[in-house]
Amino acid sequence: MIRILIVDDELAIRKMLQTGLKAAGYQVLAAANGTEALQMAAQYTPNLIILDVTLGSPPDGLEVCKNLREWSKVPIIMLSVREDEKIKIDALHAGADDYVTKPFSMGELEARIQAVLRRSAVEPSTSSTAEIRVGALLIDLVNRRVFVEGEEVHLTPKEYELLRLLATHPGKVMTHRALLGQVWGAEYSEMDHYVRVFINQIRKKLREDPARNIRYILNEPGIGYRFIDTE
Amino acid sequence: MSYRKSVAKYVLAAALVGGVTLFLWFLRDELTLANFALVYLLSILVSAIYQGTGPSLVAAVISFLCFNFFLVKPLYTFVVADPHELLDLVIYFAVAILTGQLAAQVRRQADNARQRAYEQDILYKLSSTFNQLTDRESVYQALKSILKMDLLAQDVDILPGKIETSSSAQNELYLLLHTEHDIYGTLRVTFDQAPTASLIRLITASSAQASAALERIELNERARKAHSYQEADRLKTALLHSVSHDLRTPITIIKTSASNLLELHAKLTEAERMEISRTIENEADHLNKMVGNLLDISRLKAGALKINDAWNDLEEVVGDVAARTWQLTHRERIKMHFPDRMPLVRFDYGLMLQALSNLVENSLRYEPADSKIEIIGSFQEGEARVSIINHGPDLLPEERELIWEPFYRGREGNIGLGMAIARGIIEAHKGRLWVEDTIGGGVTFIFSLPVVEDIDLDQDPHCR
Repeated sequence: MIRILIVDDELAIRKMLQTGLKAAGYQVLAAANGTEALQMAAQYTPNLIILDVTLGSPPDGLEVCKNLREWSKVPIIMLSVREDEKIKIDALHAGADDYVTKPFSMGELEARIQAVLRRSAVEPSTSSTAEIRVGALLIDLVNRRVFVEGEEVHLTPKEYELLRLLATHPGKVMTHRALLGQVWGAEYSEMDHYVRVFINQIRKKLREDPARNIRYILNEPGIGYRFIDTE
Repeated sequence: MSYRKSVAKYVLAAALVGGVTLFLWFLRDELTLANFALVYLLSILVSAIYQGTGPSLVAAVISFLCFNFFLVKPLYTFVVADPHELLDLVIYFAVAILTGQLAAQVRRQADNARQRAYEQDILYKLSSTFNQLTDRESVYQALKSILKMDLLAQDVDILPGKIETSSSAQNELYLLLHTEHDIYGTLRVTFDQAPTASLIRLITASSAQASAALERIELNERARKAHSYQEADRLKTALLHSVSHDLRTPITIIKTSASNLLELHAKLTEAERMEISRTIENEADHLNKMVGNLLDISRLKAGALKINDAWNDLEEVVGDVAARTWQLTHRERIKMHFPDRMPLVRFDYGLMLQALSNLVENSLRYEPADSKIEIIGSFQEGEARVSIINHGPDLLPEERELIWEPFYRGREGNIGLGMAIARGIIEAHKGRLWVEDTIGGGVTFIFSLPVVEDIDLDQDPHCR
């Protein structure tokens, strides 16, 4: 049975999550503060941690996340509010796997939990997908070719690299800095505008049509992008 | 005036008389007594005009003695043989002293007039300089510069608060910068010598002008603050009204629905339970959105909005809004036109997304069900524009300004914050948002953002 640790200082939210996740078939543990969370994470080795960004007392969610990453690869989903973009980015850079913005529905949270668990079960480096198919888009990873509605689309090497990076991590939030670091190199991590321009070019070539909801690359406002997760 | 300088004047006056005596002594056989007297008088006038009262008096006395000793017979004694000549000498002495004093007085008056004109100039300069200044620091700078450049102060300091000084240095001056109501600091001026009365007058006038300017600036600031307090007060009233009225509605619905579920659970059909649960979820979303709006408008109006701007693509934000609209309606309600090379603009993606969503939401509310709103991107020298065009009813003339007011409820009667937030966000990005008529009927919202520099990645070798 999959074990989930919930960390939130609000009793009502802990209770609500416990009820919802138990009903969905998970075994649920709960911690009310950061110190308790670290102890329980070490003691019960949960399969996933849901961690509120603001815990009321130190250590806060970001610190707990950093601490966990020093010794554990357990998937972490952060809970935050809309205005916390900076903390969200920091948490992602500190090793959090995803975040959910409050208020959220149980369905939304469960979908994220499943996606994160799925990704952590199959390391992208070890997976041997030869091609990615989403709607009308086909990416042939072996021959580095991209097709839309059966027609080949010509991408520059950098465009292809960016698309490949996003598409091989479906559903995973990638910050601008992470994308820059992996496609251009760590010394370009401040050149946000590269990513903007390239994403725009890729989208045009892939013939995205947002008004008809034909999209492959989704925006995470103020944070980065994620490739559409169809599973 | 320094001691050495005034001694020099006396020496010069005496030397002039000595020179004249020598000149007359050489010509003593060719000239008459009247000639001697007139030449001497001339020299007395010269020293009166150039050296002033004291030196001219000394010159008169010396000239009288030299005249007597070297030029009046018998020579080289103070004895005068001819009683007529004695009379001439005495008259000469009297005239010399009198003309000397008169000339010196004329000179003094001319000097005073010049000094006053100079003071007037400085005072005029003071008031015209200080009147233009709008902040404290520049008043201090202007005061320092006038004292140094025009009044030749060696050193100027403005010390905070009132300074009680025990310094007795002659060349140092302490003046309180104050008005009737307030103290703005203490001015310390140092000169290389003790300042004259006229200089002190000018310094006092400068510090008074500076104090007046400081007071004017402070009063302006207070008036501005009072205005924004008033604005904040008006907003607070509207906020309270909204919290008490608009927020209560969804809370009431949630509360009633939840207690229905609790108390009537057994009597409800499965479909009814689903319906009630869905209502709770919808109302919670509605409530969440309203709280977000109220927070945003409060932050915008308090100037407390944090803008995390970065290079961004307007087309991307519009695309995001279009996709969200599709997810809500499952219909294609938006037609986008963007040029191939829309320049990147600096903005906060999340905030711009919100501003644009509000404008699109408003436009869709009035768009006929069977047509689409259009969103058109364009750019020209220095700005990028987005037009959101709907084909609904025209805006009434009186609504053109009203729609931007927080809590203005249009025909639809919602909370009335969307437009105010959109405008607040765009103005916080130094952009403009306005409304025009759609040709053929409807409303067009247009906003523009400044394009600071055009980033051309074609020139960048890392982007191939």
